[in-house]
Amino acid sequence: MIKVHTKNLVTTITLDRGEKRNAMLPSMLVDFEAAVRGISEDTKAVVVLGAGKVFCAGFDLKVCAADETGETMRALLTGLSSCVVAMRECVVPVVLGVHGCAIAGGCAMLGGADVVVADRGAKLGYPVVKIGVSPAVSAAFLMSAVPAGAGRALMLDPGLIDGVRCFELGLVHELVEGAGDVKGRAMEMAGVLAGKPGVGVRATKGLLNELTEGVAGRAGEGLGVSLSRVGSDEEREMLGELWG
Amino acid sequence: MSELALLRTEGRIATLTMNRGEARNSMSLGLLEAMHSRVDELADTDCSVLVLTGAGKSFCAGMDLKAVVIEVSGDASLGEKLLTSLAELTMKIRSLPMVTVASVNGAAIGGGCGLSCVCDVTVSHKDAKVGFPEVDLGLCPAVIAPWVVAKMGAGRARMAMLMGGIMSGTRGHELGLIDYLAADREGLESLTTEIAERLASGGPKALAATKDLLNVIDGTVDPAMVLRGAKLSAGVLGTAEAQAVLMARLG
Repeated sequence: MIKVHTKNLVTTITLDRGEKRNAMLPSMLVDFEAAVRGISEDTKAVVVLGAGKVFCAGFDLKVCAADETGETMRALLTGLSSCVVAMRECVVPVVLGVHGCAIAGGCAMLGGADVVVADRGAKLGYPVVKIGVSPAVSAAFLMSAVPAGAGRALMLDPGLIDGVRCFELGLVHELVEGAGDVKGRAMEMAGVLAGKPGVGVRATKGLLNELTEGVAGRAGEGLGVSLSRVGSDEEREMLGELWG
Repeated sequence: MSELALLRTEGRIATLTMNRGEARNSMSLGLLEAMHSRVDELADTDCSVLVLTGAGKSFCAGMDLKAVVIEVSGDASLGEKLLTSLAELTMKIRSLPMVTVASVNGAAIGGGCGLSCVCDVTVSHKDAKVGFPEVDLGLCPAVIAPWVVAKMGAGRARMAMLMGGIMSGTRGHELGLIDYLAADREGLESLTTEIAERLASGGPKALAATKDLLNVIDGTVDPAMVLRGAKLSAGVLGTAEAQAVLMARLG
């Protein structure tokens, strides 16, 4: 469910479950993290994309609802947190392209990227409170990317916002007209990054990580809050209503 | 030789001008030392607003490349001296009790753009060229990074400093690097005056107390971090890769 391809010093990691809108499964996230942590030494930039019609619709809730124990949901939350931290800790810049939508867990992935490209009409947000789950796992990263007031509204409101609004808030850095333009622009930006002298880029990313070290540090705290809601009556009932 | 930094005061508004227009106000040791002296002199005034700007067409083109290419300057320690002086200048400007306004009249590149981020308010125009091309030259903008993060927010600063390159004033305004944007270079002067006068209408003590609190809340701007940035930046600057790129740039 994860495809990795390296060409011209750029490693592209693709969520490859297009027929299910790249809905996340635990094994997919394990493979994604391994791909990010396993990039070759001569890679100078990483691109993260989704195959098919959209970037990612979030967790596979059908599979979560079918698992009475809540273990699938827990594994997804833990895996998601690890993926975001892995992108942040990756020594080279990570460019992420959102086409169509990045919802819930899909939107959380933006937190780890250094550069985010999206189409103007893409739908983004964290509607997980609707199924009794807390998006806290994303809070530390989101709050460092956008002003605190806007971040608060985005975490608590289950509504979605579009690419244009995300650009205004700073969650998206580069807008393209249509969903079909995202991949090309993301690859182009990665190419620009890969063309720069490597020492300065790595030092700069390392320094930025140091300046915002509290962010990855607090990821565990947010994960804990998200995990605490899994298996609650509220979650079982709301998730069941949606998928039962 | 003319003064490399000029200080003029009028009522409660002081204007500090980088005056090395023939070299796009790039930061030589002389320019930085002159800036330190003029900023120190501000203590003797009762100004509550400081406008920082550049003489001629540019605001500040960043580090003087001739001074940081060892083969040209013949002094391997000059780069670190410059970076340390810039680091100390940024902290000195940030801790001024007066409100600081960067009037970005033209190119504000690398350290020059960083200097504008140290100021409380940034005013510029659509065609100004701003940005952080350090990574394009194999360098790391470590001295100014904490100020850029504080100005733009961590997410946008990350993107801007890693992507490098130079952007228009319009794009800088969209990304939060510039607070107020004039339509063109001609309009900048009156916009700067308008904003400086509006700021100067505030109570000097209320402004100073507010700024002081904002500096405390900006936990990212730790003097030790800025000074360590000078060391890190100098380390990257000294690498063969960076020196080769810079040398090629000087042609």
